Amino acid sequence: MTETRLDADATRVGGTGEAMIVCEGVDKFFGDFQALKGINLQVGTQEVVVVIGPSGSGKSTLIRCINRLEKHDRGRIVVDGVEMSDDVRNISEIRREVGMVFQQFNLFPHMTVLENVTLGPRQVRHWNKRKALELGMQMLERVQIPEQASKYPGQLSGGQQQRVAIARALAMQPKVMLFDEPTSALDPEMIKEVLDAMQELAESGMTMIVVTHEMGFARSVANRVVFMSDGQIVEVGTPEHFFTDPREDRTKLFLSQIL
Amino acid sequence: MDLGLSRPTVEEPVPPPEPERHDQRRVPPGEWVRDNLFNSVLNGILTVVFGVIVVYALFRALRFVFVSARWEVVEANLTNLMVGLYPRSALPRVWLALGILAVAAGLGAGAASRRRRTSASRLDALKRSAPALVGLLVILSFTRTPLPALLTAAVLAVAGLSWLGGSRLPERFSRRLPLVYVAAVFAAYLAMTAAGGPGIDRWGGFLLTTSVAVGGIVLSFPLGVLLGLGRRSSFPAVRTFCVGYIEIIRGVPLITLLFIGSVTIGLFLPPGFNRPELVTRGLVVIILFTGAYLAETVRGGLQSVPVGQTEAAKAIGLSPLKTTFLIVLPQALRNVIPTLVGQFISLFKDTSLLAIIGLIELLGIAQAILFQGDFRGQGLQGETLAFAAFLYWVSCYSMSRAAQRLERRLGVGER
Repeated sequence: MTETRLDADATRVGGTGEAMIVCEGVDKFFGDFQALKGINLQVGTQEVVVVIGPSGSGKSTLIRCINRLEKHDRGRIVVDGVEMSDDVRNISEIRREVGMVFQQFNLFPHMTVLENVTLGPRQVRHWNKRKALELGMQMLERVQIPEQASKYPGQLSGGQQQRVAIARALAMQPKVMLFDEPTSALDPEMIKEVLDAMQELAESGMTMIVVTHEMGFARSVANRVVFMSDGQIVEVGTPEHFFTDPREDRTKLFLSQIL
Repeated sequence: MDLGLSRPTVEEPVPPPEPERHDQRRVPPGEWVRDNLFNSVLNGILTVVFGVIVVYALFRALRFVFVSARWEVVEANLTNLMVGLYPRSALPRVWLALGILAVAAGLGAGAASRRRRTSASRLDALKRSAPALVGLLVILSFTRTPLPALLTAAVLAVAGLSWLGGSRLPERFSRRLPLVYVAAVFAAYLAMTAAGGPGIDRWGGFLLTTSVAVGGIVLSFPLGVLLGLGRRSSFPAVRTFCVGYIEIIRGVPLITLLFIGSVTIGLFLPPGFNRPELVTRGLVVIILFTGAYLAETVRGGLQSVPVGQTEAAKAIGLSPLKTTFLIVLPQALRNVIPTLVGQFISLFKDTSLLAIIGLIELLGIAQAILFQGDFRGQGLQGETLAFAAFLYWVSCYSMSRAAQRLERRLGVGER
């Protein structure tokens, strides 16, 4: 396991205390532009970490590196004891354990809601049809839209689509859920239903990393809040510390701009 | 003269059907004419001029069809036009094959009808099959004995019974319909050739045209998909091969490739290796040619699928292969149906080029029958070519209508 000593605040793990995700010295370049600069972050099992920061600060890139939608250039990423390498089997093993919800939902428009949700269990976990359908309906009930099962994504509202996306990720029974600005593409009146589903998920003990601008959610649900700027982690802390007594000037500036 | 040597690469997308509109205000015909045709002096003149041209052209066309044309050349040669030099003793095999295809088509239509059984959809189905029915009636009007009409009625009856059967089949079955179609085509081919039946080299006329077209469409499609995927492959060798293939084939006219296939290919084959039949060589060239064009269409479709789809598929752990075939390809192909069908229609008409390398398909037979003693030198090209053109049009228009329906059905749940 990882015994390296790291910057104290960023690595103090919440949740049950065991590290689910470990990032050590992660660098990421897009051409000459360095999107991530030596990121050190540990996320504990059952911990909810909210990542905030100005746009272009590397928040999305960070969580996209955790399930290899982007390849990090230096450093180590370990998920549930499996270190991310270039090995395809290794990558698919991690992806099976990590669910992801996107800003644009990215549901498959040519499949019904239930087919969207059962695709992973059937094709990746190789479950039989009945078992997959049963689980799929359970997941849809969990996000409270079982009645939409046979519709197509295009027939649903944005909030409903995003809840289907959450159900689709959950159907793989992941150990970690990543949320990449899940409410940013939604109309205001639909944000709450998605945040409610996420809060229910957090309370059930799911390990989560959430990139969001919803400060209310960060305040009430997060165990720790991470503030990123220019590809670096500037400050990490509990929500109380973070919103009432931030240490860094950049954090104060950012909070003063959005609150 | 256009030999069809140049071909359109992109067909106009077919517009979705207009919803029926009920005008709030009924415009009296006289007023409509005044408002739209004679609303200015220039428009008035144009209306008169073009009106005269249209009426004259229509008059000449109708006079040709109903008065001056000597349709006996088509009447006497109807069997030649339909099957070419196919042995007459084996004709029952053709009817058997038609019966097999009628079963498959009936089952398919019946299973589809169950989903939406409304009077509107029935009217729609009638409209859809109208061109094919008109074509059938025209062909039958040239027959001299009642037998073909009776056999056609029998085939239609088989189709009707299969329709009834299809509408009562369980849902599970309709998912396997594509398999039924493939099996039916295969069975029809066997019915034509098995146990001493004449091989495809002895087929001709409309039979050969449709066979080559169906074979070309069915086989060029997977080739085009593979080439289109290969062109975007991450393996440089695969990508280079596909790009090279596509660019070489697209840079050479089809007729040139057909000549290469018909004449020169023998020079490259090892000695003692039997040259395949001319039909087979022609068909292979058409498949290879159309595959290259389809590949570019498929590539366009692949590029139209948002990258988020691939990312979402990766994120739930799908392998690259499954991501391609379950997520990307279905959406890509749906987006390019109009262009794909355009290319299939092109392929159908391009089979007429086989006449130039000496195959007696529909166009070839339409020319050849004019060299018979009875009809030589009497200027009857108009009749035979009009008949051939009509059959081409009926076939292509039916394909186009079928594609519109497919598009509408797959449009379900579109974003």
